[in-house]
Amino acid sequence: MAELSLVLVTPERTLFDKPVASIRVPLFDGSAGFYPGRAPLVGRLGLGELRLTDSSGASESYFIDGGFVQVKGSVVSVLTNGATPVAEISRKAAAAKIEEAKAIRAKSDEEFAVAARRLEKARKMLVLAGKD
Amino acid sequence: MANRRLLVKRLKAVRNIRKITRTMELIATSRFKKAMDRAAEAAEYTRKISEIVGDLGRANLKFSHPLLEKRAEEKKSILLVLTSNRGLCGGYNASVLRQTVAHIRGLKEKGIEYSIEVSGKRGTKFMNFQKISFAESYTHFEDQPKFEEVEVLAGRYVQDYIAGRIDRLDVAYTQFVSSSKQFAVVESLLPIASLGGAAGSKNEAEVDYEFLPSAEEILAEIVPAAFRAKLFKCFLDAAVSEQIARMVAMKGATENADEMAGSLKQQYNRARQAGITSELAEIIGGAAALE
Repeated sequence: MAELSLVLVTPERTLFDKPVASIRVPLFDGSAGFYPGRAPLVGRLGLGELRLTDSSGASESYFIDGGFVQVKGSVVSVLTNGATPVAEISRKAAAAKIEEAKAIRAKSDEEFAVAARRLEKARKMLVLAGKD
Repeated sequence: MANRRLLVKRLKAVRNIRKITRTMELIATSRFKKAMDRAAEAAEYTRKISEIVGDLGRANLKFSHPLLEKRAEEKKSILLVLTSNRGLCGGYNASVLRQTVAHIRGLKEKGIEYSIEVSGKRGTKFMNFQKISFAESYTHFEDQPKFEEVEVLAGRYVQDYIAGRIDRLDVAYTQFVSSSKQFAVVESLLPIASLGGAAGSKNEAEVDYEFLPSAEEILAEIVPAAFRAKLFKCFLDAAVSEQIARMVAMKGATENADEMAGSLKQQYNRARQAGITSELAEIIGGAAALE
């Protein structure tokens, strides 16, 4: 039986490096799922939830902040700027982040882009936090 | 007598200082280990990035990205200087600042406009003292710089470079080679000289990737990511080197204090013995006079 393992790395550390049964990642335009035996792929990630299921059926979720995914052989590598276990996201903190992002007064296009991105990130976090 | 009391006082002071330097050495050692682990973990990300770059290279793609283009004429530059917030770390800050000053002189000769950004209190103090004006200063990068914080800087540099507000970015920091070798360098981070891809890819079977959305778009995204990782590495290197420098400096200080305490103790013992001898001589002399 083909195997699949996930390596989740951020610039600061390697968060996850274990065999899994299936993985779902947020691509830039929607989510994508990987099962063992996936053809090689390099993709751009968006903001959202990375969900993995191990062989016993238990699942784990991380909120990831952009980056790349590479599928090569049986290894799926996810490179992201930041990953937070969903269990650690609280509704309150996410809501506070939305307020924070809304409070930014952008003066230029660049600042506006940054503020918009922060708002989007906070909103997506809130959606995920709402599940638990 | 007075001399002896003075010696005791000095001995105490030296011992106290030794205690402090020894503690600082131990703290620096444990921080160094932590910083080292972080740097090792971060290396994984950089390795993966260059792996993907290597994969892109095999996809018959022409590497073109604004960050990779070297400008024909360099007019404006930013120099980022990474120093420590705290002192007592030997020649760590001095060597970075020496490189910085030499680099500034070079820029002046070439007629390139520069703006300086300094991280670390030691650096800002030096700049103020030398009356070198700097545009920005940061003191929030401690011994464990966070990626989020570095990303803010990196994002700004990338935008400035693409918009043509700067033509190059140099970083003066202490490069970490091994735990016994670190040296101060001024490295040019923008334009990106090489992405460091395609290393060790010869013996691997060629993989035909599917690119989502396309190889070009992945490249457009990965070049800034590689730059961010590189800048982050500079910060991590600086943090590790700082701890090593402090460790070595404090080890030296502790050894010197030990030596000094030894010689003071010897002096004290001699003075004490001389005192006893003279007292004995006085008693014997006094007894002889009474007879």
